[in-house]
Amino acid sequence: MIDEQALLLVLPILLLQLALMIFALVDLIKNPNPNGPKWMWAAIIVLLNIIGPILYFIIGRRNY
Amino acid sequence: MKQLSTLLLKEWRENVRNYKVFWIPVVFILLGVTEPLSNYYLPQILDAAGGLPDGAVIEFPEPEPEQLLVAVMGQFQTIGMLVLVLAYMGSIAGERRNGTATLLYARPLSFTSYFLSKWMMASLIAMISIWTGFLAGYYYTAVLFSAVPFGDFLLFAITYSLWILLVVTMILFASAAMPSAGLTAALALTVLIIAQLVDGLLGSRWIWSPLKLPNYAAAFLDIGPDGGAFVGAVLLAIICIFGLAAFGIWFSKRNRSKAKV
Repeated sequence: MIDEQALLLVLPILLLQLALMIFALVDLIKNPNPNGPKWMWAAIIVLLNIIGPILYFIIGRRNY
Repeated sequence: MKQLSTLLLKEWRENVRNYKVFWIPVVFILLGVTEPLSNYYLPQILDAAGGLPDGAVIEFPEPEPEQLLVAVMGQFQTIGMLVLVLAYMGSIAGERRNGTATLLYARPLSFTSYFLSKWMMASLIAMISIWTGFLAGYYYTAVLFSAVPFGDFLLFAITYSLWILLVVTMILFASAAMPSAGLTAALALTVLIIAQLVDGLLGSRWIWSPLKLPNYAAAFLDIGPDGGAFVGAVLLAIICIFGLAAFGIWFSKRNRSKAKV
């Protein structure tokens, strides 16, 4: 089902998702005071792709 | 001038350290790429999701590339705008609460530079986001379907950029005027979404309304918008941007006493 062309097309999306997840995780590790338990945010970031990191950046960072 | 550049540097550092420079463009690129890809793989997606009886044949009309770009814009109009509002709702209202404001307001601060530095940085990031998002969408559409003439695409993206500038100005104005980040988001979203709804339902005569800029942008991919109406809407949008910015500066000055010490 997955041919090479499809893989090449979808690869950039996967890389971007991965980048987003890594940014969020790095920030979470460095964050001394996230809005909620750290393990919960780690699970959200890893399990919900795209939406998880966005949720963390908007709600979890407590930057306001 | 010196103050503006210092404040700009502060804004830039803040946006790098809270990763906004990275994650907002990534979200827009993902939005831009998903639309053409999911259209291209629609038959396979339906197939994999199941639920169709064996032997069912559905003919999919080949979507026009212009339609796909307009669909990308539709994503930006909902999810994209929500992301921008939520990302920048705290830029002034939040600073009053988290203590940055007390550090800043204790100095002889020019509120014009203060507001402008925030406006410039938020606009810069919003512009980078929508342009990379649109270019990614354009590229994928061209590879998977066929290319839209690049000139039309440029006019489309430039017109939409003006609309996004208006949105960013609205967000910062709300952030200056409102006491908290939550109320900022409420005000900005209400104005942007409800006004667009009302404009779409009742405003067929208000051809100069800046709220029609996204429609005019989409029209550039087709036959092009009506010249007079388009120029009117652009001029009115620019006036709105200046007006909102002026009120934003005034409000950020007036509300400085609301800073939490």
